[in-house]
Amino acid sequence: MSETITADVADQPGATPATAERQQEAATRKASSIEMQGLHKRFGRDTVALDGVDLEIQAGEFFTLLGPSGCGKTTLLRILAGLEEPDAGSLVVGGKTVTEVPPHRRSVNTVFQSYALFPHLSVRENLAFGLKMRGLPAAKRNAKVDEIAGFIKLGDLVERRVDQLSGGQRQRIALARALVCEPDVLLLDEPLSALDAGLRSQLQVELLRVQKRLGMTFVFVTHDQQEAMVMSDRIAVLNGGNIQQVGAPREVYERPVNAFVARFMGHDNLYPVSARHGDRLSTALGELTAEEGGEGELLLIRPETLDLLPGAVEGANHLQAVVAERLYRGSHAEFRLEIGETTLQATVNNRGRHLPDVGDRVTVVVAPEDLVTLGE
Amino acid sequence: MRKRTLQRGLTGFWWLTVAFLYLPLAVVVLFSFNASNSAASFSGFSWRWYHRLLGNEEILSAFANSMVLAITSSVIALAIGCLIGYGMYRHRHRKLGWLIVLIYLPIVLPDIVFGISEMAFFVQIHDWTGLLQPGLGTMIIAHVTFQIPFVALIVYSRFVGLDPTLFEAAKDLYATPLKRVVHFMLPTIKPALISAFFLSFTLSIDDFVISFFTSGPESATLPIYIWGAIKKGVSPEINAIAALMIGAVAVAATISLAFSRRRLT
Amino acid sequence: MSYTGVTPTARSRAMVREARHLLFTVAPGASWIIVFLVLPSAYLMGVAFMSNGPYGLPEMPLSLESFKRLAGFGFLGWSPGNLYTLLRSLWQTLISTGLVVLVAYPIAYYITTCREKWRPIMLLLVVVPSWTNQVIRTFGWMNLLAPGTPLSGLAESLGLIAPNMGLYPSNFAVTLGLVYNFLPFMVLPLYAAFEKLDTAQVEAAQDLYASPVRAFWHAVFPQTLPGLLAGIVLVAIPAFGMYVIPELLGGGKGMMLGNLVATQFSGGANWPLGAAGAILMLIATFVGLFAMRRIGKRLGGGEEVVI
Repeated sequence: MSETITADVADQPGATPATAERQQEAATRKASSIEMQGLHKRFGRDTVALDGVDLEIQAGEFFTLLGPSGCGKTTLLRILAGLEEPDAGSLVVGGKTVTEVPPHRRSVNTVFQSYALFPHLSVRENLAFGLKMRGLPAAKRNAKVDEIAGFIKLGDLVERRVDQLSGGQRQRIALARALVCEPDVLLLDEPLSALDAGLRSQLQVELLRVQKRLGMTFVFVTHDQQEAMVMSDRIAVLNGGNIQQVGAPREVYERPVNAFVARFMGHDNLYPVSARHGDRLSTALGELTAEEGGEGELLLIRPETLDLLPGAVEGANHLQAVVAERLYRGSHAEFRLEIGETTLQATVNNRGRHLPDVGDRVTVVVAPEDLVTLGE
Repeated sequence: MRKRTLQRGLTGFWWLTVAFLYLPLAVVVLFSFNASNSAASFSGFSWRWYHRLLGNEEILSAFANSMVLAITSSVIALAIGCLIGYGMYRHRHRKLGWLIVLIYLPIVLPDIVFGISEMAFFVQIHDWTGLLQPGLGTMIIAHVTFQIPFVALIVYSRFVGLDPTLFEAAKDLYATPLKRVVHFMLPTIKPALISAFFLSFTLSIDDFVISFFTSGPESATLPIYIWGAIKKGVSPEINAIAALMIGAVAVAATISLAFSRRRLT
Repeated sequence: MSYTGVTPTARSRAMVREARHLLFTVAPGASWIIVFLVLPSAYLMGVAFMSNGPYGLPEMPLSLESFKRLAGFGFLGWSPGNLYTLLRSLWQTLISTGLVVLVAYPIAYYITTCREKWRPIMLLLVVVPSWTNQVIRTFGWMNLLAPGTPLSGLAESLGLIAPNMGLYPSNFAVTLGLVYNFLPFMVLPLYAAFEKLDTAQVEAAQDLYASPVRAFWHAVFPQTLPGLLAGIVLVAIPAFGMYVIPELLGGGKGMMLGNLVATQFSGGANWPLGAAGAILMLIATFVGLFAMRRIGKRLGGGEEVVI
């Protein structure tokens, strides 16, 4: 079964100006903001899943809840869906308090991690399930199902049985089944995690374009920081039932507020600041000048901001290092450098220039404007 | 070489065992067509015992009793067992050891203890209250009691085999509690319900001991009638009715075989 | 703890809802089994400790008379009839279970050596006879073992039975009936055990041990033990309480405990004595189940036996 996914919906003959207009209208009508205040949730006696979460999500935003397993992101999503009731706190969707509204009376739909397609129903019946439960007559249901099938490019999948579908096809049916209900908010619980890498990045792009065209509020849960950065307007990083940081992808990646966020975003070059004199910071690497270092006690050096010069070159923010390891990745190379007793990771783009070998002496040039400090 | 001999010996033993298993049934079927009423020698083919069956009102009423008993008890057991199977599934994370013991009790209790304790109990209750007069009613109660566990276990295992998020997807897609039952749960477990019904039906038709002790004078089922006829003295008519019941099982076995074949390919 | 001050209303409301759900789904079935099986069994156990009144119905005061009579102490001194019945039940159970093992073990093995597509059909072939009514199957054996049949003639000419006697009613016929009845119950769990057999272990054993007998004993047999024990419990417990087969094939001298119990509840007999016999069967049942669980756990299997 081929996974042909033509991502750009607007180029397709099916997307006439009329449907585009309708979707424009849907966008203005449907998108809802979300406000959460003081959400607490505990499982059993002492497993705290959410420890007082305050969060605002704007209408039409692609918002991602990011964190390791057990951080509370899925619990938060389930509270949004109504599948879990918070022990305390309130939830407002589109201006209405829905904290105690059961899921079947919320205009919120979910794309589940396992897709949760009904095995006893055909694809068409699966797509129409929500509309049928809302009491829409059969003719209108069919029209809406055909429309969404055209929009998501399901083609002849609609007439198949669920057990004849591949993973990627199931994922798109699950998305279509939720979208066809035109919810105020769409929730996505790691919807791509069961797919292989190639298909996954294809569907990331498609999902993003669907969201931009519909202008619907998407709340997306993932543990993959790359995926979160590609997709999101804003990201909330969670750990231990608490929100660590909320911000645009660049903000979270380049200016993490603490060591947890930095490590979770993939940063390894973190060094305690032992002393500071103005903008001069003392670390295990030596003395470094930071332009706006801030007050934090940890220095973060992003590997891709570093330059490597062959041999020993003296200068401000120049560090003498030996190459301990080199990983050649084609488009770039990753280096593990030793500076005295300390190691430093550096990533260098492959522009055809000389790449140092293991054992070579190099000089690391650190730009003062790229240095940030953060709290523990 | 030695392996060959062993395998050939086993093949012989296998066919001997199969013959052992089917010999008594074959004899019953064969003698149901016997022209004479001898139980020892076959003296020509005849339908006469089958013709006699049709005129025997006792047999016809026993057949009717068997059917009423099997269908009524299976329907009641299906409803009760289905609920308890779902309850076991939904609350499977709780400590329900007592419930498991309760569910397995009717399965493991020897038939004779099952039948006699119910009989003694019904008699005592009847003495006190006048309720539970032995008859089809008490038989239905007894049959439902041993059918419930089988229905519950079949329904439970069907639910366990489902993706648990399906229940949440149904809620998420605007299904009210009632609509979840009608449009999601019942259609999803339909195969389990069908197989549970047929198993209950078969168990009821097959049961002799429990029926025997809970029955009343007017409520003899086919196995009870056959039992009585055997006790009174062997008559070739019994061969005929027994052969018919063996035939019914053979049909069921063929259907089951067809299904298992389809599943294999 | 950040929860101080949080009123746990949502939590307790959810708990009430779940408890009500549990009650609604489980209560009908659970109370049906309690009212129509647990209470009757409890009543029967109570009856066993009462005295025998006129018409065989139980009476006060409480007594252990029934158990004494089962153990062979009669109304007028030593009368071992009941005790013999009890011992005969144990003996028949032992012999028939042993014979069932001897037949089922090679059969279960043989099925696993056949081609995969035949195996379900072969298993079905073994199981189908047990789908027919027990009374009919036993009746078939009556036809086969009656005086004048070829089987009886053969036994007669070998001098095994007196002329014109037939092979039934007799203890031999009961044993045969039990073996016939319970064979499938043993084949199925043994087949399951053989199917899971780790062939690598068997091949290693064939290298290690010179004789195939020793290889079997060290590599194959221990692996089939859980299935074998499950089969023994599945056969021995119901065999011990068997009623139909000894009633039809055994005659007066072939009675087993089930018949003794049943007789006490038909006209003018002795309910407390019958109830005491039923208690023995209950004990045997629970001992068997308990043993199976213990053995299952110790062998690390603990697998469920599917019938």
